[in-house]
Amino acid sequence: MATESVETTSEDVPVPGKASTRFDLEKETELRFEVEAGEAAEQVELELLTGMAEVFGSELNRNKKYTFGPGSKIAVFTWQGCSVNLYGKPEVAYVSKDTPMLLYLNTHAALEQMRKQAERDNERGPRVMVVGPTDVGKSTVCRLLLSYAVRVGRRPTLVELDVGQSGVSVPGTVSALCIERPADVEEGFSVQAPLVYHFGSTTPGTNIKLYNKLTSCLADVFSRRCEVNRKASVGGCIINTCGWVKGSGYQALVHCASAFEVDVVLVLDHERLYNELKRDLPHFVRVVLLPKSGGVVERSKECRRDTRDEKIREYFYGFRGVTFYPFSYEVRFSDVRIYKIGAPSIPDSCLPLGMSQDDTQLKLVPVTPGRDLTYHVLSVSSAEDGEEGARKGIVESPVCGFIVVTNVDTQTQVMKVLSPAPRPLPRHTLLIMDIRFMDMK
Amino acid sequence: MVFLPSMKKAAAPELESQVTHRTQRRSAAAGSCLNMADQNKRDTDLNFYSEILSPSELFAARSRSHKIPVRGQKDFFPDDSDEQRQRLEQSLNEHWSLISEERVEKLGNLVKATWVPSEKIVELQSPAGKFWQTMGFSANGKQVLFPEEALYLMECGNVQVFYEELPMSIQDGYEKFLSSSAVSLQQYQVFGHLKRLGYVVHRFDPSSESSSYARQLNLPQSCDGAGKHLKRKRSTSPTSTSSRTEVQEESTADRTEEDKCVREDEEDKTPPESHLTLSPETSGPQTARSNEGRGRTWWMTDVLGGRSDQRPASGASRWDFSSIAFPDLGSSRERLSSCLASPEPSLLPGSLAVGVCDVDLWRRRINLREVKMSSKEQEREEDQRRRRSDVNKDREVRRCRNWTEYRELLKRRQRRHKERAEHLWSREVTPLHDPRQPIPTGELLDKISVIKSTHLLEGASRLQDSEEWSICFNVYQPDTVADFKKSDPGKPYSRMCVCSFDGPVPDLRSIKLLTFQSGDVPVVFAVVDHGDISFYTFKDFQLPTDVYP
Repeated sequence: MATESVETTSEDVPVPGKASTRFDLEKETELRFEVEAGEAAEQVELELLTGMAEVFGSELNRNKKYTFGPGSKIAVFTWQGCSVNLYGKPEVAYVSKDTPMLLYLNTHAALEQMRKQAERDNERGPRVMVVGPTDVGKSTVCRLLLSYAVRVGRRPTLVELDVGQSGVSVPGTVSALCIERPADVEEGFSVQAPLVYHFGSTTPGTNIKLYNKLTSCLADVFSRRCEVNRKASVGGCIINTCGWVKGSGYQALVHCASAFEVDVVLVLDHERLYNELKRDLPHFVRVVLLPKSGGVVERSKECRRDTRDEKIREYFYGFRGVTFYPFSYEVRFSDVRIYKIGAPSIPDSCLPLGMSQDDTQLKLVPVTPGRDLTYHVLSVSSAEDGEEGARKGIVESPVCGFIVVTNVDTQTQVMKVLSPAPRPLPRHTLLIMDIRFMDMK
Repeated sequence: MVFLPSMKKAAAPELESQVTHRTQRRSAAAGSCLNMADQNKRDTDLNFYSEILSPSELFAARSRSHKIPVRGQKDFFPDDSDEQRQRLEQSLNEHWSLISEERVEKLGNLVKATWVPSEKIVELQSPAGKFWQTMGFSANGKQVLFPEEALYLMECGNVQVFYEELPMSIQDGYEKFLSSSAVSLQQYQVFGHLKRLGYVVHRFDPSSESSSYARQLNLPQSCDGAGKHLKRKRSTSPTSTSSRTEVQEESTADRTEEDKCVREDEEDKTPPESHLTLSPETSGPQTARSNEGRGRTWWMTDVLGGRSDQRPASGASRWDFSSIAFPDLGSSRERLSSCLASPEPSLLPGSLAVGVCDVDLWRRRINLREVKMSSKEQEREEDQRRRRSDVNKDREVRRCRNWTEYRELLKRRQRRHKERAEHLWSREVTPLHDPRQPIPTGELLDKISVIKSTHLLEGASRLQDSEEWSICFNVYQPDTVADFKKSDPGKPYSRMCVCSFDGPVPDLRSIKLLTFQSGDVPVVFAVVDHGDISFYTFKDFQLPTDVYP
């Protein structure tokens, strides 16, 4: 129905130094463009001229320029038709009418129907788990559904279980975030008072027991919140999972479904996973197979690492590194206790009788500060600075912040840290992550 | 405690005299053939004992072979062969000739004695010989022998017993001296056997044993009526247990007192016991009630089931997904029409009005990406597929309406799976230990040792005497013979209790009783099987215990 109607009108809106491209979109089509990655890459600006459009569920303001940094991959969708202008040189830019947006919208409608019913019957709203392999747009679908939900006045919760590419906090964490307004077109959801748990690695496989434990923790906290907050309860939650759908990863998904008592599972573009989940989840869980969008691009390892780095940078310096000013100060070794969660696994034959391996996977191992601590990201656990007795709760305690070790001086027993807040540290229990961050920029 | 057979194998001391030798031959045949043998010579009895032998006869008697015929292997059943018959005949003849052998003694060596049937003793008429050191006793200024002693000495050729002025043959001795009221044949056989082996054997006198009370006080035996033991007194016959001395009676009186106390204690204890036995009855209604309660819970679940029956397909979940339309591309074409109707605008943000959606187009585009799997993963996947079945095929799962119920079901099943032996715990009698609760090995062993070890003497003092079993003899070791004193025999080596092979095996009660009676001297059971004697004793021992840290 919609024919390609792309006009390149570079002379229409003359912006000095920047080429401008105008796109006229028909209804239910989207403009996809990617900004070149890399240091020297140019930013691309987007402006809505006429009509209405949205980026991943967030509506665009007319005549406002949105800036997208290097590496951005953006889709501007319009339900009614619009015309936009792109300033700068995107790596790719094209209009596609093949979008599964209608299916996603239908999904949202179904979820909204459930929320309405929950509101009416004084029950809890739908809990949705979005699953699928890597690079199928899980996070995007989550963002979309959350934005739509917020736009119809709900207060859904985003549960981020993707430890590799966390949309809420730094990588290596699982988190939950209450969504109160649509995602910012440029920045995404505003991160205010998220609930973050330390996991410590970018793949759940390194410590699947801990991963499942944290999932249960999050589910527990969320359920308790639902008990006291009616709006949150009706809003339900949307759980973003990681792309590991085989073996233990699959088991983790089933565990997560059980822990959160999900009502709907959205499977993106993975028929086998869909069938498996239909088989392994009880009948009252609705498993839905959805297509992925044609606009989804596969990200390389480097790209993922860059995103992770960017996310940590964003934590310390704010979006695009301009909003926040982190502090750097020295911390004495004696003032802090550093732990690693999970002892290296021991063969069962070496274990004492009756002790199982999961005991070691959730165990806190004290880390002696040394030179190898440099550049590691440390979570500041919110566990009270008690003595031995308090150690038990550390694994299940949320994180109140992160610091990065920038320098270790073993002579003076002091390490220099990058911290979002001035000294002193709010707590003195630190959990080490496998993730390193070098403050290069 | 275990029944330990212990054969006493004390080597017979070398016996020098020819006469004793001969008697030994006799004793070998004792019981079975002796009577018959003597019968043949009965009519010659009168002149037999006064016969004076010519030198040649005396010489022949002296130079007789001293060998006892070898019995050889036992034949268990007749095989009708000539060989067997001949063998039997030969051995029988040997026995006959052995028994019918004339006994030649020097008159000077024979001690004359008289049989007093009223008192069942043998009074010596002439001074006693060497045997007096270990046998006999004095009464009213006379030297007296017990019938078993007299018979044994007769067999040895040391004593000649007269009855009504006539000498008695050995056969007469067996007939007259031995009776069930005095000394039985079996008792005499044991007596003789032990004597021949060199032991000193005395009748057991219960009165000479210290009472349980004295034993408890650990009184030295000599203090206990020193005068009483100065002279060896005539003791009751081994079998007669009815007559008791005062001490014994006292002690039994004590015992009955004790028994009474114990019984009272038991009575004191019984009320709670009766309570206990009552309690099931009183708790009967309670349990019934709880059963009722349980029944009610079952009934409740039945109601649930009934409810689910009302909705036959499955326990309906909160959400009615037939009215909530998800664009599920995985569902069949019938359930999801090829064109998705546009959703209700009120559900959409900004009151969007969107058109219909062509699902078929997307169906074709699903799952375009290959799923890359290693061969190992594929194998595992295949294995899983084979083992796993759809959870929703389970009716119980289908009945669950939400996660809470489902998880409860899983938990229940897991528990059932884990506790495979759950039924063991549901009954009144439960296993001694729950294997899920680890405890040290030592504690575990203590916990599971239901049969507590006991001692022979445990509770024996409370038992009442029985008539059936009694100790017959005190036995002293042969090496004490040299300085043995009848007046102060000291502690016996063991005590003999004689019983027949045909008779019953002593029960625990008798063993305890006898052991108690005997004190710290071991009780040996001499089991007589037609002249063959085996000795058995019960001993306390400790079961091996595991050495644990």
